[in-house]
Amino acid sequence: MAAPTAAAGARARVVALALAAVVGCGALAGCGGGSGADGTDGTGGRSGGQAAADTAARPHLRISGAFLPVPVTTGLAAGFCVVRNTGGADTLTSVTSDIADRVTLHRTRNGRMEMQDSFPVPAHGALDFSRGGNHLMFEQLTHKPKVGDTVTVRLHFRRSGTLTVKVPVRPATYNPGAGGAFGTPPDGAGSARTP
Amino acid sequence: MRKKTLPLAAALLTSAVLALSACGGGSGDESSKPVDVQADAHSGRRALTVLDPPFTKPDLVLTDTHGEKYDLRERTKGRPTLLYFGYTHCPDICPLTMSNIAVAKKQLPKAVQEKLRVVFVTTDPERDTPAALGSWLRQQDPEFIGLTGKFATIQHAARQLGISIDPPKKEKDGTVVSTHGTEVVAFSPKSDGGYLLYHEDATVDDYTKDLPKIVQGQRP
Ligand SMILES: [Cu+2]
Repeated sequence: MAAPTAAAGARARVVALALAAVVGCGALAGCGGGSGADGTDGTGGRSGGQAAADTAARPHLRISGAFLPVPVTTGLAAGFCVVRNTGGADTLTSVTSDIADRVTLHRTRNGRMEMQDSFPVPAHGALDFSRGGNHLMFEQLTHKPKVGDTVTVRLHFRRSGTLTVKVPVRPATYNPGAGGAFGTPPDGAGSARTP
Repeated sequence: MRKKTLPLAAALLTSAVLALSACGGGSGDESSKPVDVQADAHSGRRALTVLDPPFTKPDLVLTDTHGEKYDLRERTKGRPTLLYFGYTHCPDICPLTMSNIAVAKKQLPKAVQEKLRVVFVTTDPERDTPAALGSWLRQQDPEFIGLTGKFATIQHAARQLGISIDPPKKEKDGTVVSTHGTEVVAFSPKSDGGYLLYHEDATVDDYTKDLPKIVQGQRP
């Protein structure tokens, strides 16, 4: 049972962090807009040695479609999202959350999950966490969230720093990748981006 | 008529696994022999493979969540049965699969629900004791049956259904990681044969649509 004051405090801290991130990066990037448009970002003056340019270029990350299926117990939960990158390569190095003491990164192969130290976010590519594939694993939850709750998750990237995502808790059967009854979540839910 | 390639590949894979297990086993159990699995070319759904001929129900005797002996063949004879191999320390596919089935089951008429048997066999028997399994499954559906026992027994039964599972393994940080099966096998109440294979991307809609047929032993 989280005391409302504690929850409010956590929320305030998140907002503060998010603001800090916006201010900090806003100064660096002259790139601003491009909101919502997925995929091609033809604006960057990329010419010549593409590979070198991609490593040197600043990553532009956008996290979308984040969700956390309501867990069965407080022992374990999984989280999913897509990190799209319209800039240079980056690496997801760790994840933290106020709902769990420990968040680990996993990929799944042949029904077995394998812990990863980090995940590459390729230049002009995407890092995909989805059902049956890669997942974020939340262990020893502080409480059992309910469908409709929002969980704060921070993704730490080697070059882009920290992106904070408000991750909606969805029904246990939620599986947007499988083309079921669930459409794309309303924009804004479970998203974050570098400016 | 759409041609479906994915389930065919899955079926071929299944045959390959069966062939492998028969080579390794030498148990003399006739149901371990390779089965010529054919995908149904007309179902047109990637999450489902129709098996013809069907799988024989494994002769599996384990312990249920009340700590009592459970004979799969005897207890599920003449009952529509869904069988899945997974573990409770599984964050993604195991709870997803059981929740999909639980939600779909609730949409059947009460009397029909009572006929259906949903059996979850653990692939991590050391941690999934009858009590642990029971409390996890009750969150999904109190009628679900959970079975635990010797890993070798469980692995052998899974193999007979073309499902490959490895024993739990310790990670570098000390955490234990298990394998889950990637298929749910549906057994017909008419023949007791495993005639449908649902892959891990089967959704709650797939099960909701198909359960009314499965409880009658019909093809969806
Ligand atoms: Cu995991």
